[in-house]
Amino acid sequence: MCKQILQFCHLGKTFGDHQVLRDINFTVNKGDVTCIIGSSGSGKSTLLRCANLLETPTSGEIIFDGKNILTEKSHSKYRQKVGMVFQSFNLFNNMNVLQNCTVGLTSVLKIKKQEAEKIALRYLESVGMSAYVNARPHQLSGGQKQRVAIARALAMQPEVLLFDEPTSALDPEMVGEVLTVMKDLAKSGLTMLVVTHEMAFARDVANKVVFMDEGVIVEEGTPEEIFQNPKEPRTREFLSRTING
Amino acid sequence: MNFLQKMGNIFAEYYDWLLQGVGYTMLVALVGTIVGLLLGILIGTYRTIPNPQNKFLRALKKTGDWILTAYVEVFRGTPMMVQAMVIFWGYALVNDGNTMDVIVAGLIIVSINTGAYMAEIVRGGIISIDKGQFEGAYAIGMTHSQTMWQVVIPQSLRNILPSVSNEFVINIKDTSVLNVIGFTELFFQAKTIVTMTADTFATYLAVAIIYFVLTFTITRILRFVERKMDGKKNYTMQGAGNLDADAYAKTQAIGGGNNV
Ligand SMILES: Nc1ncnc2c1ncn2[C@@H]1O[C@H](COP(=O)(O)OP(=O)(O)O)[C@@H](O)[C@H]1O
Ligand SMILES: [Mg+2]
Repeated sequence: MCKQILQFCHLGKTFGDHQVLRDINFTVNKGDVTCIIGSSGSGKSTLLRCANLLETPTSGEIIFDGKNILTEKSHSKYRQKVGMVFQSFNLFNNMNVLQNCTVGLTSVLKIKKQEAEKIALRYLESVGMSAYVNARPHQLSGGQKQRVAIARALAMQPEVLLFDEPTSALDPEMVGEVLTVMKDLAKSGLTMLVVTHEMAFARDVANKVVFMDEGVIVEEGTPEEIFQNPKEPRTREFLSRTING
Repeated sequence: MNFLQKMGNIFAEYYDWLLQGVGYTMLVALVGTIVGLLLGILIGTYRTIPNPQNKFLRALKKTGDWILTAYVEVFRGTPMMVQAMVIFWGYALVNDGNTMDVIVAGLIIVSINTGAYMAEIVRGGIISIDKGQFEGAYAIGMTHSQTMWQVVIPQSLRNILPSVSNEFVINIKDTSVLNVIGFTELFFQAKTIVTMTADTFATYLAVAIIYFVLTFTITRILRFVERKMDGKKNYTMQGAGNLDADAYAKTQAIGGGNNV
């Protein structure tokens, strides 16, 4: 049985007169690992940013737990439950690794400092970064930064975690360590919505793949359906370009 | 008597006057800089609030923006000496000739004057912070003010500290204009001492030395604070049992990027 957790209904987004997203409809079920693929400029980031309310959609609805979050006054409550991992990490430069992971717990969730540190350490350990609690972001490699950013998001114990090209800013030799962490998360049952260019990850880890082009969802299905049997010519063309190119 | 001896005599004879002048100068410079900085931070935070959706709130925010711009422009665009006179005597005018306490007046004038400059300095500090820092904070549910106070302002403060130090030094020197309202800071004391010694050159040279020692010391102290804020160059690893990055990546090979 599938329980839907996040749903996009006729979502649209325009910047000025540039329509970036058009009539986006899809549903994320609890425990789903959904990968969004598509060429650059197709609106993937904008969709994810709308899902976290960093951008305000210009039409449509986003339903979370049965409620349209676009009509809710406070974004804070929703964002506690729907976390986001960015391509550029966005770790807080004025804090060390541990503080990066505790600040949300103490200031947003009002958890006592000691308890927050325990929680943060648990997640830092799960991403292999607990040895670096004292380090500052600028002292870490890209892969390490991204793992800390994942721990920071996990510490809030979100129901859904959004990833926007989490490995695109990394040197090739660091991509693996971040994907490993994400694969573990997928196995643990976390609901994930991942924009990625890592086709092998989408194929092996996702249970649903969404292909976007020019602001619309062209095709969605299981990894087998999308990678082995794409119905749409545009999907076929994109895949042959990315996988062979 | 050569002038060195004369200066020595001035220090010896009027040290309590001079010390009082130093005390008031530093008090008003310090309070003015700190209150001005706080004003600057509040204004900077207000100005970076994302535009509200609600039409009424948006109009309210616009009005606030307009008032703050007027404040900044007016106080940056007129001399502090004139501001001091206008505020001091303006207060007296609306209060049937009763003047404000001179100390209070001096503190208020320097604070709001500094605030106008700090607002611009802080704004520059805030807009120099990467947008990603805001988004990282919003994404874990932090509100705008939590984001500002915990993430953005600490980073901006570090970046603007040299400009803030500069404002402090300017304030130490510029509070001398408060003598026009009879504020007994260092320059006012110098004028009084001259009326008794009749030795203008030696007195003002002595006072110049004092001003320089004050500003030089403050500059050094704030440099030291800057270095302290930058923290340690290196970090220490915690817990030997933990895997480091490479080891971690190797222990858990995955069908990821490399083997597409
Ligand atoms: N803040 C913005 N203002 C104007 N145009 C934007 C903005 N953000 C994104 N766009 C445009 O929206 C389109 C989709 O961008 P994006 O969602 O980043 O695509 P993707 O992540 O798939 O590469 C691009 O044409 C981009 O130029
Ligand atoms: Mg993108």
